[in-house]
Amino acid sequence: MMMRSSVRDAMLAAVPSLRAFAISLCGNVDRADDLVQETLLRAMANIDSFQPGTNMPAWLFTILRNLFRSEYRKRRREVEDTDGTYAETLKSQPEQHSRVEFDEFRAALAKLPPDQREALILVGASGFSCEEAAAICDCAVGTVKSRVHRARIRLSKLLSINGTDDYGPDHTTRGILSAGGRS
Amino acid sequence: MHTDTQVRKPGGRREDQRRIGGILQRVYDEVVRQGVPDRFKELLDQFDKTKEVSEAGTASSQGQAEGRREP
Repeated sequence: MMMRSSVRDAMLAAVPSLRAFAISLCGNVDRADDLVQETLLRAMANIDSFQPGTNMPAWLFTILRNLFRSEYRKRRREVEDTDGTYAETLKSQPEQHSRVEFDEFRAALAKLPPDQREALILVGASGFSCEEAAAICDCAVGTVKSRVHRARIRLSKLLSINGTDDYGPDHTTRGILSAGGRS
Repeated sequence: MHTDTQVRKPGGRREDQRRIGGILQRVYDEVVRQGVPDRFKELLDQFDKTKEVSEAGTASSQGQAEGRREP
């Protein structure tokens, strides 16, 4: 029926961002694509539980995130092996000058705790609001905000961007408190 | 007159966060720009076809599509 193809189009439209999210989460393109595939299969099987008119990307991201979480728990050891495989799969990218920067960034991203990483990506790159991210991650909005904040602090340390010595524990704690406190 | 409501020190926290946000977005968009790989187009096309076939009431190629007819 009409509704089916519009649902399909909505799923299709969400795929590029879903892939980017999956790759950022697991740091491996092949596994990320398998994760996207499994997400789409699950979404199609459970399409009746999707309410038309609601946020399709958020629904798909939630499914993917939950799949990743259960897989991550199973394969915790393998997740460490991110840097090399990533560089391999994206070797053909043309922008050589930013490759080093990108690789460094991905390596740093991989070192973040998963809950911080997913919060940062959802809010900082996927374009979800903190409220939407909280629904996807099944946690409080304040929790999302503090995770995003901690992720950013951690990243700037890992990437040793200038002035990182300024971030003592006091600064960090204060930042989290103020970020989490603003509703 | 200048009204510097947000003073940005070079190397300050705000500047760091701006840089990190920028790289994150570029790393992410690099993947988004790759669009939809064929395997996912095919997957979703199949979903569409399966539904159409089951509506026509002659589902046979996809075993799972059978038995979901309208009364």
